[in-house]
Amino acid sequence: MTGRRGGGPPVATPIGRGVVRLGIVLLVSFAVLAAGAGYWQVVRSADLVGRPDDPLLIAAARNVVRGVIRDRDGHVLATSKKDANGEPYRVYPSRSVAPVVGYASRLYGTAGLERAYDAELTGIRPPDPIDELLAKFSANRYRPQDLTLSLSLDLQREAVRLLGANRGSVVMLDPRSGEVLAMASTPTYDASAIANPDTAKAAFASVSNDPDKPFLDRAVQGRYVPGSVFKIVTSIAALGSGAITPATRYARQPPAEKNGLLVSGYRVRDGHHPFTGSRQLAYAEAVEVSCNIYFALTGLETGGDALTSWAAKVGFGAPIPFDLPTVASQVTNGGGSYGGGFSDDVELANAAYGQGETLATPLQMALVAAAVANRGTLMKPHLVTRLSGADGATTIGPEVWRQVVSPDVAAEINAAMVRAVEGQEGRLFTAGAKVPGVPTAGKSGTAQLTGSAAPHSWFIGFAPANDPQIAIAVLVESGGSGTTRASPIAGRLMARYLASVGK
Amino acid sequence: MTTASAVRAGLRVGPIRPRFRRRELGLLVVVGLALVAGSVSLGATRAVLADGTLVLAPVDPFRLIVYLAALGCAHLAQVLAGRRTDQVLLPAVGLLGGIGLLLMERLPQGLAGSAFGNSLGLAGVQLLWLLIAITVITVLAIVVRSDTWLRRYKYTWAAVGIGLLLLTFVFGEEANGALLTVRIGPVSGQPTELLKVILVIFLAGYLSEFRPLLVEESTRLGPLRLPPLPYILPMLVMWAIAFGIVVIQRDLGAALLFFAVFLALAYVATARAGYVIVGLVLLVIGAIAAYQLFGHVRIRVDVWRDPFADPSGAGYQVVQALIAFARGGLLGTGLGAGLPAVGGRLPIPAIHTDFPLAALGEELGLIGVTAILGIYLVIIERGLRIAASAADDFRALLATGLALVVGVQAFIIAAGNLKLIPLTGITLPFISYGGSSLLANAVVVGLLLALSDRGVEPPPPPRRSHGRFDRLLRRSVA
Repeated sequence: MTGRRGGGPPVATPIGRGVVRLGIVLLVSFAVLAAGAGYWQVVRSADLVGRPDDPLLIAAARNVVRGVIRDRDGHVLATSKKDANGEPYRVYPSRSVAPVVGYASRLYGTAGLERAYDAELTGIRPPDPIDELLAKFSANRYRPQDLTLSLSLDLQREAVRLLGANRGSVVMLDPRSGEVLAMASTPTYDASAIANPDTAKAAFASVSNDPDKPFLDRAVQGRYVPGSVFKIVTSIAALGSGAITPATRYARQPPAEKNGLLVSGYRVRDGHHPFTGSRQLAYAEAVEVSCNIYFALTGLETGGDALTSWAAKVGFGAPIPFDLPTVASQVTNGGGSYGGGFSDDVELANAAYGQGETLATPLQMALVAAAVANRGTLMKPHLVTRLSGADGATTIGPEVWRQVVSPDVAAEINAAMVRAVEGQEGRLFTAGAKVPGVPTAGKSGTAQLTGSAAPHSWFIGFAPANDPQIAIAVLVESGGSGTTRASPIAGRLMARYLASVGK
Repeated sequence: MTTASAVRAGLRVGPIRPRFRRRELGLLVVVGLALVAGSVSLGATRAVLADGTLVLAPVDPFRLIVYLAALGCAHLAQVLAGRRTDQVLLPAVGLLGGIGLLLMERLPQGLAGSAFGNSLGLAGVQLLWLLIAITVITVLAIVVRSDTWLRRYKYTWAAVGIGLLLLTFVFGEEANGALLTVRIGPVSGQPTELLKVILVIFLAGYLSEFRPLLVEESTRLGPLRLPPLPYILPMLVMWAIAFGIVVIQRDLGAALLFFAVFLALAYVATARAGYVIVGLVLLVIGAIAAYQLFGHVRIRVDVWRDPFADPSGAGYQVVQALIAFARGGLLGTGLGAGLPAVGGRLPIPAIHTDFPLAALGEELGLIGVTAILGIYLVIIERGLRIAASAADDFRALLATGLALVVGVQAFIIAAGNLKLIPLTGITLPFISYGGSSLLANAVVVGLLLALSDRGVEPPPPPRRSHGRFDRLLRRSVA
């Protein structure tokens, strides 16, 4: 009943009815609350728990004593100490491994292998309800694992020492197993100072503000113009696809040495080996003297599609699966209409000898050398060889990644690379790369950069050439020609390794 | 003192005849058992986490015994007083208070803040306030016989309320961007907590007096029919002053609470949907204006819309609360086993005041949260039942308002914790840490208990004749 106007006092609805309606509204409101609780606690439970900002993970990360990281000889690369509050912090005895091992810091999180293997090193697994329930009643909830790396601290230190004040990178791996023996990136930094809570702030600020970017792991994250070392990739494509044979010669090549090779109005220039005169070079000779004209012609002969697809077999075009995050190397920017993503034949001709839009990481170029060394079979590169903890140990063994070329083609390239290091004319370009008393294969590179910057100095190679045990890629940023800077570093490192294994 | 003056003063006259309260006793025993079980569970988890041994003992027997004894005394006092008051409210409030005490027991004791608080510990301070709250409930339930002092001086109450707010203005201290706490000498408190009770008393008095006039439809606003303007104006002004000051104080939770209680009471008094519609329109306009005008409102709303956009900055507390709920799952981690501390600090800084439901959600699970929400519903139901069977409009509206104050406040903060509405910094009644909140809610429950007594003196004669209205009311209540 509602109020009426006129004729006596107005009449109100009974209050009880409003109270009942209000009660219903409140009942529904609280039912909505319960439904909301159910949504977060049951429906969304799984995707919220275990987020990186889950305090349980953060607390565990702070309190858990992370596993120890060792090199192949048992040298400690990362271990833990406890601070005044009994909370652990990381200590890294050697600066040389910093870009690979990274750091684990309370303030700045993790980097490098400390990041990639965070779950294993802390022993914290993604939450499993039953596991959680059981773990609640055990004193040590987490089971940190130790890492053993294939890395040799001795080689790593020597690589960093030889790179000296230059920015650069060295990657050494065993072509037969894919085990990485050295992975240097300079400059390095003091990871202990970042992990130590007392010095973390100042250390982190100084490293991140350093214009030389020590945090950049150049071996896997740095992309460089490869220059002549890319000729080995062109060789794989050309010989592998059958576009050329080792006997292929080009009549256009000798005259082009003087005036340049005309490709669609653009001149590919060479001229650094006048002593070959008007001789038409065969494949191995062209590698020995690093003939740009020969490889430009070979690239055109091979075609853009084949060059890109054969390069992809050695790892170009996609990040290389590895223990650390890698960036993809490239033959071309892609998107061009010419074939294989090239924009035209000029770009293809330049790419074929490592200029153009071609970019590669040191790890990628080491894999190119390793593929040739291991008779065309590319092993999967890896750093961590063993995980061990209270629950037992896991060994990560060699794994074939790809068959890149046939053993015969690999042997042809191998022979040409030996000539590039040991041949009469080749040794002029690769001085110091030869391991004394051991047949050595290799290829130097001098990557021309736009502008006035000094070229990058490259060398890739392997030894012994008849029984390869070590493959290497050396890059020195703006280090001048491959001959002067990268080749001697490679020679000394390969010699040191072979001496250590008794060869 | 003559009998008449004693009655006027609200004191009991005549011999005291004890009246047993079997239902209350039985429920209190259940509450006691639940709290002992909770305390033992917390104690056992503590022992296991500390050294891996299982010890079945309450975490702090002394505090628990004192608390349960206080509930027992409150029961006994009511038995001796012999009043026929509600027997469910005290156990329900006792259970919530006990859960709050267990939670404070479980949190780091250093959260108490002040020097006094730190010497006593979080749980010690909370226990002290709970004891005071139980005393207030008991005294009000036994002593308040007449409501004349409430209904007659409504404008005085309104003035007291505004005075309290002005006090906050002059002596207020800023905390978390809101001007809430008044500190005079050693005593500090949050006047808005008490203000909500005063607002309800004023609204009940005003609405019950002018109810017949308010339902008249003389003002038209488009399709809506509203009461004569002169009668709604004073109320709107009172509300606007409170609301305005609260907005200036930046206490959004209290603003929302006042607004919701005002609307609901106006609806109950008039049964006019128009009130609710106009009120909701005003709310939307106010919300949009506040969002445009105030940076802190904008941050709250943006965080509510997507806390995961800035999970380590603005959205930190909300995200952490949601993770806590998520980890709790259906059954919870168990008391003492959740809330992982990072570097000795809990993930949610204001957990003891603003996020107790998140903490309980993690440790008691969905089942615990649902049970706690259920207890609030029980309190609401008791309050509305008291309202429905009240002898007159004032008592009915007062009981409704008091029940609403508890229920709506619990809803606002629970919904904020669960990201159903933007988070506001108000307390979870009876559970959150803090004296002002416990005291104000104790006054609410004490008044509800007093109102629930059917044996009180008849209400004073109404100022206007409500012949037919009274008959109607009786019919609706019967």
